[in-house]
Amino acid sequence: MRFTKLVAAAVLGVGLCFSQAMAKEMNVGFVYVSPIGDAGWSYAHDMGRQALEKMDGVTTSYVEAVAEGPDSERVMLNMARKGYDVIFATSFGYMDPMLKVAKQFPETIFMHCSGFKTADNMGNYFGRMYQARYLSGMVAGAMTKSNTIGYVAAFPIPEVIRGINAFTLGAQAMNPDVTVRVVWTKTWYDPATEKEAAKSLLDVGADVIAQHQDSPGPQEAAQEKGVYSIGYNSDMSQFAPDAHLTAPIWNWGPFYIETIKQVQAGTWKAGSSWPGLADGIVDLSPMSDMVPKEVQDKVMAKKAAIIAGEKVFVGPIKDQKGMEKVAAGSSMSDGDMLGMTWFVQGVIGTTE
Amino acid sequence: MSIDILIPLLAAAVQSGTPILYATLGEIFTERSGILNLGVEGIMIIGALTGFLVAKITGNPYLAFIAAGFAGTCAASIHGIVCLVFQGNQVVSGLALTILGVGLANYLGTSYVGVSTPGFQPLPIPLLAQIPVLGPIFFSQDLLVYFTYIIPFLMWLFLYNTRFGLSLRAAGEYPAAATAAGLNVVGYRWLGVLGGGFFMGLGGAYLSLAYTHLWTNNLTAGRGWIAVALVIFAFWRPTRAVFGAYLFGGIMALQLRLQASGTQIPSSLLLMLPYALTVAVLVLASWRRGKTDEPGALGTNIVPAE
Amino acid sequence: MSAIRIVKRQEPLGWSSFFVLVAAIVLSLLLSAVILVIGGTPPVEGITVLFKGAFGSRFAFEDALLKATPIFLCSLGVALAFKLKVWNIGAEGQYALGAVGATWMALSFPNAPAWLLLPAMIAMAVAAGGVWGFIPALLRQKLKTNEIIVTLMMNYIAILFLDYLVYGIWKDPASFGFPMTAEFSEAAIVGRIGATNFSWGLVHCLFLGVLFWVFISFSRIGFEIKASGDNVRAARYAGIPYDRLVMLVMALSGALAGWAGFLEASSTVNRLQPSIMAGYGYTAIVVAWLARLNPLFIGIASFMLAGLRVGVEGLQLDLQVPAAFGGIIEGLILLTVLAGGLFSNYRMVWVRKKT
Repeated sequence: MRFTKLVAAAVLGVGLCFSQAMAKEMNVGFVYVSPIGDAGWSYAHDMGRQALEKMDGVTTSYVEAVAEGPDSERVMLNMARKGYDVIFATSFGYMDPMLKVAKQFPETIFMHCSGFKTADNMGNYFGRMYQARYLSGMVAGAMTKSNTIGYVAAFPIPEVIRGINAFTLGAQAMNPDVTVRVVWTKTWYDPATEKEAAKSLLDVGADVIAQHQDSPGPQEAAQEKGVYSIGYNSDMSQFAPDAHLTAPIWNWGPFYIETIKQVQAGTWKAGSSWPGLADGIVDLSPMSDMVPKEVQDKVMAKKAAIIAGEKVFVGPIKDQKGMEKVAAGSSMSDGDMLGMTWFVQGVIGTTE
Repeated sequence: MSIDILIPLLAAAVQSGTPILYATLGEIFTERSGILNLGVEGIMIIGALTGFLVAKITGNPYLAFIAAGFAGTCAASIHGIVCLVFQGNQVVSGLALTILGVGLANYLGTSYVGVSTPGFQPLPIPLLAQIPVLGPIFFSQDLLVYFTYIIPFLMWLFLYNTRFGLSLRAAGEYPAAATAAGLNVVGYRWLGVLGGGFFMGLGGAYLSLAYTHLWTNNLTAGRGWIAVALVIFAFWRPTRAVFGAYLFGGIMALQLRLQASGTQIPSSLLLMLPYALTVAVLVLASWRRGKTDEPGALGTNIVPAE
Repeated sequence: MSAIRIVKRQEPLGWSSFFVLVAAIVLSLLLSAVILVIGGTPPVEGITVLFKGAFGSRFAFEDALLKATPIFLCSLGVALAFKLKVWNIGAEGQYALGAVGATWMALSFPNAPAWLLLPAMIAMAVAAGGVWGFIPALLRQKLKTNEIIVTLMMNYIAILFLDYLVYGIWKDPASFGFPMTAEFSEAAIVGRIGATNFSWGLVHCLFLGVLFWVFISFSRIGFEIKASGDNVRAARYAGIPYDRLVMLVMALSGALAGWAGFLEASSTVNRLQPSIMAGYGYTAIVVAWLARLNPLFIGIASFMLAGLRVGVEGLQLDLQVPAAFGGIIEGLILLTVLAGGLFSNYRMVWVRKKT
């Protein structure tokens, strides 16, 4: 009798250890919209994935350059069929395909970046990059002498527009006369076109170049002309040592690790996450020595304020036509920010 | 648009048109010998990657530039083998080469995306760069652009004033008669393909060594196809190609500058300009041409006789 | 002294050309394996994963079938034009405009019943694609402009036009500012067959494939196409209205690609967005050529190449091979098959040279 109890205890004990080990072992998949190994969007996510890889019991894998639409649906289906536990899809256009797949695999957890749809097993997340953009705009506004800043941007989607607006507000905070001119390249990664776009902005008098592009093409243009530049996604100073002032950068590692920890502990819930400076998901890269100390101090002070809870899109804010979009004293809701399709006053360019 | 914007625009047109010009010259050389090579895009991008890698490894951009040309020749030789030896259809072979070339370059270049390489910087020519208007446009460019000021002329000399050039053109114009007269038509076609490939490779290298100093997937972004179109616009004449390439480069630069100036025209429509212009130009060229300069036997394979 | 001389055969080889095809594909797989090695991936494992991912499971089979649908239809169109030696490189743009046409119909009449709306969408898609194919043909016959370049440029223009619409006037107000149209109503969607994962689009393909074959083999125009493809001058001499034929064929070619665009927008994505463009129009050219412009082989080849695309994704996921590998295999297969064509189209003859 005692022997049976012993055996039962042993089996229970082994079973517990086994299930513990089983609970820890996780397969995480990532879907990227562009090739990694650039200094850009997918590269930043991949840095996060690599941080995740270091966790115990977590293996990660990825598929890159996946076109939005049916291709992405198939990739996610494949991952789900292979028994991946968590799947991260890092581009807006993956939203509907992910929703479809999520319905078919209720046991798998799906996380969509930069979208707005959710399900019981699907959440979405993004980073408040606009906070870092505001800070970088402050630097640009302080450093420009011609009061014209050039912004090379990829596609007129809300996150890009939001970034431009935040950047402009930051620049205007330091220098109310500043204008920001926008050129759309309609590509995420084409250094030749991006560089040419930067040059076209330089030709109309811009003396600081900022970008919402993945390649350092615009940085090269700024360096060659001898003006200043703001990078993106990661510190781009190696490409433009005499021009690069700072860059708003991503830091996805902590977010991914936190998410997986929640899944492992069973506390993960579907929802919308939008962490920012305060959580360390976005940041401003170290400012170059070319930026005067008093400017750096102001920027760091503002950064601390935002981390403490201060909002960026606080009224009064007018749009390009002069209409008031945000009343004095109020701030924009998350929903309004996510769907931003208009430019603030001071931006010169179309939103199409 | 004021004169202030016009001069930088024209300077940008020259720079933007240069890689296309190299490729167009290469394709003219090939088509003159009777071979249609639609693999320009693939050959260009292989040249771009080769130039980038060699410059990164050796630190010598000049060596890299030449190496890219040879890479272009090697890539073009695939087209030569399929068409001249295996009698493959020239249109499809060129397309296949483009698909293969783009895939190969993107595949091999994966780890080098977002990395920079030593390359060519603008090199203003001492006295000439001071000339108002012409100075900034033509004489403040980099070395590889200056090469393109003489290469078309040299190619013209070769094609129209040497015996070899004459033979090359004969191979493309009337290969049957030329063979009967004892000319090694296949040999000249090989010269056309390999020589053309060299210039296409150079054109690609310009993008990764001078226009930018970066590598990326699809760096050439369709410029090779524009080159094929420009050959027709240039009536297969090297000197005309210069005008076409700068015109096209100018349109590409223009649409960006229109945006920078604050136009309200949607960017998608502006981006159509280069392509719509190419069609318009082609229609115009076809309309005007009475006596055609198109090599008579372009695109047809010949069975080598003994 | 002797030499090998090649002489064109009267009729291309039949059965032995199949072996040439297989040999070519094997060769291209070998070369791809070599490239895998250069990239640092174990070759045998790589090729195995490729095949398993492409054809190794029921899911892969379904995925490949789904992907093969637009490729098949575009390829039928391309093959039709190629039979006349008119080099239609514009399937991509004709597909785009077909999708645009179908979307216009779907967005304008979302409350119409399906039996009315779907045929209307098809009609619009086919008309739009047809016009886009007709224009280069018109320019070719009347002005002798090179159709290769015109169709290629029109690809870019069509895709940019699609972008213009979805970024601008057709943008869904509920899409938070992202470039996509509203989701199509139920009536505008081509759905699944019963409880299976197969779309009705497959039936469309079957229907059009058979129609294509009947048209080419038994109609008078089909005969005219065959005759003109072989020898334009002789055909004109025999009284065939060649100019009109080219324009008709190109319009039909564009129409087929337009139908593919309709299916993709309606059945696969249920709306119009930029990512509908996946390079099917270009793959269609590879397929058409590999299949020797024959509709049955086009069916097989589009399935194979679709499977290849699916398999390459498996390669990415399991072995982290870059996505560009797919282009390498496609290009190699086409080149080796082209080269292999020497043996089916020509005969080797030993000739003794008289010295």
